[in-house]
Amino acid sequence: MSAIITLSLLAILVLYLGLFKARRALLPVSLLGLVATVVLYGVQWGKTAEPLYSGMVLFDHFAVVFSVVCVILTILVLLLSKDYFDKSSPHVAEYYALLLFSLTGAVLVVSFHNLAMLFIGIEIMSVALYILAGIRKKDFASNEAALKYFLMGAYSTGFLLFGIALLYGASGSFDLAAIKEYVVSNPQGISPLFYAGILLLIVSLAFKLGAAPFHFWTPDVYDGSPILITIFMATVVKTAAIAGFLRLFYFCFIPLQDFWVPVLLVMTIITLFVGNLTAIVQQSVKRMLAYSSISHAGYLLFAIVAIGATSANSVLFYVTAYSLSTIIGFGSLILVKRATGSEHFEAFNGLAKKNPYLSLAIAIAMLSLAGIPLTAGFVGKFMMFSGVLADYQVLLVVLAVINAAMGIFYYFRVIVAMYFKPLDRDAIVVSGPYRVVFFLAALITLLLGVYPAWLTGLI
Amino acid sequence: MIDLIWLIPLLPLVGFLLNGLGRNVLSKPLVGLLGSGVVLASFLLSCGVFAEVYTARQAGEPAVFIQSVFEWIAAGSLEVSLSFLVDPLSAIMLLIVTGIGFLIHVYSIGYMKHDAGFAKFFAFLNLFVFFMLVLVLGSNYAVMFIGWEGVGLCSYLLIGFWFKNKEFASAGKKAFVMNRIGDLSFLIAVFLIFNTFGTLEFTGVFPQAAGMAMGDTTLLLVTLLLFVAATGKSAQIPLFTWLPDAMAGPTPVSALIHAATMVTAGIYMIARSNILFTLSPVTLQIVAAIGICTALLAAAIAITQNDIKKVLAYSTVSQLGYMFLGLGVGAFTGAFFHVITHAFFKALLFLGAGSVIHAMGDEQDMRHMGGLKKHLPITYVTMLVATIAIAGIPPLSGFFSKDEILAHAFSANKLLWVLGFVGALFTAFYMFRLLSLTFFGKFRGTTEQADHLHESPASMTVPLIILAVLSAVGGLLNVPSALGGGQALANFLSPVFADSAAVTGPFHLDHSTEYVLMAVSAVGAIVMAVVAYRQYAVKGTVPKADDAPRGVLAKLSYHKFYVDELYDTLVVRPLNALSVFFYRIVDRAGIDGLVNGLGKRVGESAQGIRLLQNGNVGSYIFMMVIAAVLILAFGVFNG
Repeated sequence: MSAIITLSLLAILVLYLGLFKARRALLPVSLLGLVATVVLYGVQWGKTAEPLYSGMVLFDHFAVVFSVVCVILTILVLLLSKDYFDKSSPHVAEYYALLLFSLTGAVLVVSFHNLAMLFIGIEIMSVALYILAGIRKKDFASNEAALKYFLMGAYSTGFLLFGIALLYGASGSFDLAAIKEYVVSNPQGISPLFYAGILLLIVSLAFKLGAAPFHFWTPDVYDGSPILITIFMATVVKTAAIAGFLRLFYFCFIPLQDFWVPVLLVMTIITLFVGNLTAIVQQSVKRMLAYSSISHAGYLLFAIVAIGATSANSVLFYVTAYSLSTIIGFGSLILVKRATGSEHFEAFNGLAKKNPYLSLAIAIAMLSLAGIPLTAGFVGKFMMFSGVLADYQVLLVVLAVINAAMGIFYYFRVIVAMYFKPLDRDAIVVSGPYRVVFFLAALITLLLGVYPAWLTGLI
Repeated sequence: MIDLIWLIPLLPLVGFLLNGLGRNVLSKPLVGLLGSGVVLASFLLSCGVFAEVYTARQAGEPAVFIQSVFEWIAAGSLEVSLSFLVDPLSAIMLLIVTGIGFLIHVYSIGYMKHDAGFAKFFAFLNLFVFFMLVLVLGSNYAVMFIGWEGVGLCSYLLIGFWFKNKEFASAGKKAFVMNRIGDLSFLIAVFLIFNTFGTLEFTGVFPQAAGMAMGDTTLLLVTLLLFVAATGKSAQIPLFTWLPDAMAGPTPVSALIHAATMVTAGIYMIARSNILFTLSPVTLQIVAAIGICTALLAAAIAITQNDIKKVLAYSTVSQLGYMFLGLGVGAFTGAFFHVITHAFFKALLFLGAGSVIHAMGDEQDMRHMGGLKKHLPITYVTMLVATIAIAGIPPLSGFFSKDEILAHAFSANKLLWVLGFVGALFTAFYMFRLLSLTFFGKFRGTTEQADHLHESPASMTVPLIILAVLSAVGGLLNVPSALGGGQALANFLSPVFADSAAVTGPFHLDHSTEYVLMAVSAVGAIVMAVVAYRQYAVKGTVPKADDAPRGVLAKLSYHKFYVDELYDTLVVRPLNALSVFFYRIVDRAGIDGLVNGLGKRVGESAQGIRLLQNGNVGSYIFMMVIAAVLILAFGVFNG
């Protein structure tokens, strides 16, 4: 709990720093605060968790691990932000504050124990993001992204609230434990309202996760937002969304899985194909990554389709692998776009010659996203696939493997462009923080690929 | 020594890292020394390991050593450890990979001397050896899959090594795509195996499988998938067309990856999983049929090719076909024996061809060669040895290994033997055609090339000589009992194939029949060799120009039976059309058009923005609502 308080206070502190024009202090203070949060979580680790504040939140291992992942990802994003926001606007402090608020929401989403907190968490996370997507006031694309995200986000909020209301109507409580009790003790007499509530929750959570057929906003919003915000959305928000999804369904709805698993199964398959088939034909790396993030949402849903004791670990692993590579992918795009002004595949041509280390990091990220062995991405996919297979969804695995092959095609286009398309170009300047982030992300990707046990037994 | 197994793959990895990171710093001699040094060290370690396995076998033990490096993936019921398995089968593969790998590294020092990407080349080559060793040593299907993917990746990198040439890069791509099809199949097989047996460890899967019924459907599915994977990696029908194109890579790569090691991975994998295949007779029949068809088709194509490396490439495809034939008729030892001898003589042939190409100033067309015997004496003699070996003329190695496969084929089905024999005749013919066109007759190149002709440096010829000796005597490894041999290899490998042998019973063929078969194939090969020699060396016939009119059969063969064109029409074009369809209709019209968000066209005017608000987001939400309604409707019908 102290972590949530720290985060909120930190965001307010950052706003004040902006008021006093202490621009140089913004980044260090934010980073320091985030590191402190991680430490606070570390202290909490291992203690028996009780629901706090009348059962509003529960900091069990699941919540702690996913919160820490979100915080660490935010740290990496912030490291990339040096000089980035300055170019967009003079009011830098707001952006840091908004990112921190959004993170606070994300942390609530992974640690809720009451549907009211789920709702509040999602809203805190999203409202901050609506603003962040439109951070470039004079850029049409950015405005458009913000507006679209907001309109559709508002719509999905409607579904969320309605779903929660139906669950409440049937079970008489917002509390997860009480809802679970209702499901377990009424095996025959579950109200139809309850079923409808589950479906509406699936709709709204799938929206936040960017899973088909509620994915329409993702490509446009990812494409239109400033890249840094896109990174945040594609990593932290996605992590929080899938973790919240899993938390709710694992805790409450397992006894009813015969009812909702077929729905999710169909959605998962659609998500995989929509993401991959459209990513193949993209000419812009940013849009390719956006569509591929849809397909990764599909892989993440595997854990919920095959819901069980191992789901949490699979999600944790997959989302970590995916987020690290995504940070490298989009992060390098910032640099390439700065140097060439283009986001197309051609902009990566011949990069390996002039920036061998940067290219290596990108190559590792792409291999990991594609799920090639000895990278974290492979282990993640492997865990997901075998989880589903244990559930005898052979068809899904076959379709997924075919999709994985499609993924390899477009991720390799980046590698091919960097290594096999000769082009005389100037070396891209990679500043210190970028180096640190890329190095760490690539290193962890490889380490987890070779020795995944560090992460597989946490929850 | 056994404790040091982990070092064997690690050393080439270290070489890769050093050469890769220091490629701008290290001098060429140092890179060469480092690159070949690490492989040599691995080879020495492999020798030590082999010696221990050998001693254990002599003592009558099964000689299986497992070294667990660490628990790789452990999540719930899923436990995969990164561990290495050394048994007679992998011990021999270790020697081949590191031994021949070392020779080819040494050869590359001379061959790639003038190349700007020298260090990069050695780095990739080291990386390849690493992955190949992982593939061979893996004690479960997951680790094997890592190696399987890794060698494919390296092969892709090395084929496209001279990527400035567009055709070369697209050859790399073709290899990649075809291999992916196989890998996909492998991956599905891995999951299916895990699903069926609850483990991926060889030592866990095979005993369980041995208890299953003959013709079990799950086994059928698993083996079919594994076999599709093998056709991709080992270039069999229908996935063989990438291998001849892969000759775009540097010649040492062709020798190491596309002749001696990687392409035999499919055979290794099936030999490793032999019990699964033995219990699935349908799959074995398919394996045999595909094998013999590939062997014949590729041999028929090789007869009319004029590019020296293309001939060797098709010859490789054809020989791999023989190995699959061997697996298909249950001659696991024979197939693996052919892997060994083929590694010797085919690596030698490629390296010899490389020496010729080197001397000719990168000329690969045999119509411009001829009479090189006196200029390249060492290359000539060594290639002569290899040619006799591959043609199956006794007493060189190819005779023994091919004979063993054909003997098994004979007892399985006489027709298979006849077809195999015809293929062997083709083999003898095209190999002696290659030899005659290259080394005999008059020189047909330019005067410039004539002045440039020279024997290659010692770093290239010494590996040739060593391989020639091995090609000559390699057959002694497994002399059949009909010839009074002790079948050393078969005895050595027997624990690996013990389960299969228990199912099929001992193989038996009358010695008298075997003598006849041997005599027929040996005489046939010699006759064809003489025919080719008379035609191309004595008469001095030169193959026709590319566009010269040809008979129907010759035309078919020359154009590689139009397989590439067939695939282009059947697969590539429809796929392209589909992709364009997706791009035009689904992406442009559907996603970009209907719900276009970002288009600059739209965003540039206020009018555009207004349109966007009214139309686009609206249609997004409309779709969301439809989807939500569908989901709820589903709920109503389902609940």
